[in-house]
Amino acid sequence: MSYAVETENLTKAFNGFVAVNGVSIRVRRGTIFGLLGPNGAGKSTLLRMVCTLLRPTSGRAYVEGFDVEREPNSVRRIIGVVQEKLLLYPVLTAKENLELFGRLYGIDGEELRRKVRDLLEEVKLWGFRDRPVGTFSTGMRQRLNIARALIHDPRVIILDEPTNTLDPQSVRWVRDYVKGLKGRGLTVIVTTHDMHEAEELSEELAIMDRGQVLDVGPVNELKSKYHASTVEDVFLELTGRELRDELSGRISGRGWRRRRSGPGSATLS
Amino acid sequence: MEATPLGSGIRHALLIARKDLTEFYRVRPRLVTMILFPIILMLLFGYMFPSSGSVSHVPIAVVVQDQSPQGLAIAQRFTYLAQSSGLLDVETTDSLSWAQRQLVMNNVYAIVIFPRGLGAQLSSGGGTVEVILDQLNPTLDSAVRGEIAQIFSQMDAPAQISAGFPASPGTLDVVFQGLVPGATGSFEFLAPGIVAMTAIVGGLSGLAMTFSRERELGTLDGLLMAPISRLSILFGKGIAQIVRGAMSSVIVFVISVALFGVKVYGNPLLMILVLLEGILAFTGMGMLFTSFVSDQESAQLIIMMIQFPMIFLSGALFPLLQLPWWLRMISYILPLTYVVSAFRAEMVLNAPFSAIAPQVYGLAIFTVAVFALAVPLFQRAVTR
Ligand SMILES: Nc1ncnc2c1ncn2[C@@H]1O[C@H](COP(=O)(O)OP(=O)(O)O)[C@@H](O)[C@H]1O
Ligand SMILES: [Mg+2]
Repeated sequence: MSYAVETENLTKAFNGFVAVNGVSIRVRRGTIFGLLGPNGAGKSTLLRMVCTLLRPTSGRAYVEGFDVEREPNSVRRIIGVVQEKLLLYPVLTAKENLELFGRLYGIDGEELRRKVRDLLEEVKLWGFRDRPVGTFSTGMRQRLNIARALIHDPRVIILDEPTNTLDPQSVRWVRDYVKGLKGRGLTVIVTTHDMHEAEELSEELAIMDRGQVLDVGPVNELKSKYHASTVEDVFLELTGRELRDELSGRISGRGWRRRRSGPGSATLS
Repeated sequence: MEATPLGSGIRHALLIARKDLTEFYRVRPRLVTMILFPIILMLLFGYMFPSSGSVSHVPIAVVVQDQSPQGLAIAQRFTYLAQSSGLLDVETTDSLSWAQRQLVMNNVYAIVIFPRGLGAQLSSGGGTVEVILDQLNPTLDSAVRGEIAQIFSQMDAPAQISAGFPASPGTLDVVFQGLVPGATGSFEFLAPGIVAMTAIVGGLSGLAMTFSRERELGTLDGLLMAPISRLSILFGKGIAQIVRGAMSSVIVFVISVALFGVKVYGNPLLMILVLLEGILAFTGMGMLFTSFVSDQESAQLIIMMIQFPMIFLSGALFPLLQLPWWLRMISYILPLTYVVSAFRAEMVLNAPFSAIAPQVYGLAIFTVAVFALAVPLFQRAVTR
């Protein structure tokens, strides 16, 4: 099998609300795959199933051939994840954070020391290694957050809106770094709701809205298919041009039901 | 070279425990609170004596060792007067060791002993009646002591004794004493309660709090995405809470002895056993809560709702006898009550194992049951 990540009809429902609806995607090894969609489209939910954090309601997902439900620990060993939230402990130092996760992945001793040093130098934080992460700026935290996801040399890395809330310099750094990861042979999945980012980074792009993948393909093919000059035009062609003023509460057959986080609050996190 | 699943499971748990403890001890205010809180409680409750008027029907034991007619008559007379006073409820026995056990277990609050040969002593000049008082609560102590002294003084009056009872030519000496030497005060009552309480409250709220904090921070996902067993995460965090509970109880213990002059008579091993059982039981309950609540705010609310009433009803801060009967019924179903009573009996009254065995076994069963329930629920809660 030549796919690094493959999903078949992957579906997730929360209390009857379908957040991801029959998504089938194939991500080729060593490429950057973009997932573009508005807030609440279901991007994070889809990827949480791929990285074993959520159990699919139905459908299947494989990472390097390992079934996420049947062989979760095999998947966990080869996948690195940069979530929207920082997976770092604020009172621990940069080094301690990386060492903790390194050890949880079974790396130890000289190998761990070397790995931590290499990564901290790579993300330009070696000089700050003994500072608590809580004192870092947003950009520094995100760089460390990315280093954390790479501590175990994953073959697949997932980045969920990695440039959200960053300053322009940090955004530039992250985008260049992500492109560099592909150069090292990693398979990259990156989500975004930023059209330019999607266009700049992805070789293949899936456009997602309301839990479904509307279309997927190489960026150039998508553009010519929809007679569009930019990804933005492709996106608007597929999802419509009207404004989406949704309420965060939803009326279902059984009356009002509270949602954990609406489209509005998803932007904040 | 793959380690055994159990071996690496334990290693991962210890890594997480160390991480949690590092986090805990790096936050100064938490450390300061850990030391100041028990001192404040001791001062507050140590000087806030409840009024003695609020108690009645205090159970006491009367041990009748003398079987001579005169001895039996005096014991009978005492029992009659004590019962009619309304303040005391008398349980009569001929076994001193049984009565002492009841005292240690808080089932009776004083023992009045009519010793062997009392009758003979009385006919030849005068005898001695011994009263052993519970030393844990000064208020109750003085009320019971006063009442008993008053009853004996009534018995000495010849007019009453001649009315239907054999006259005693000699006078009765009443000697008051305790189970352990020296005077005890309210700090002796409070210290073991607060030691047990601080040890346990950490397990109950600490675990739910660290889980909900990590869930909100997002870091729990980091742990869940590592190729480790979910149980390692649960037990790692549990171990951190157990260590933290043990540390804080040691701190309170040292403060009680050094600052408040509390004397310790108990067997250290039994004290540690009871405390450890308590910490385990409550860490298990903390795991149960953790499986049900996901955000910090609800965790805090539930803990407030359960923890506070439990502390007050457990007898940690004041004697249960001061509660109305229906509240007392509630305290008897709270596990903390048993940890506190066993630990107090051991620390201050040097209770033999047999006296605290019901609590020790009961807590062990409770702990096992809680873990059997909490572990599968937790595993379900983290794989959604
Ligand atoms: N744990 C959850 N419980 C209930 N609803 C959820 C949960 N997680 C996500 N959702 C809902 O699923 C939808 C998709 O969310 P998400 O995957 O976060 O979207 P995106 O990452 O594309 O912004 C949203 O409407 C969100 O409110
Ligand atoms: Mg998202």
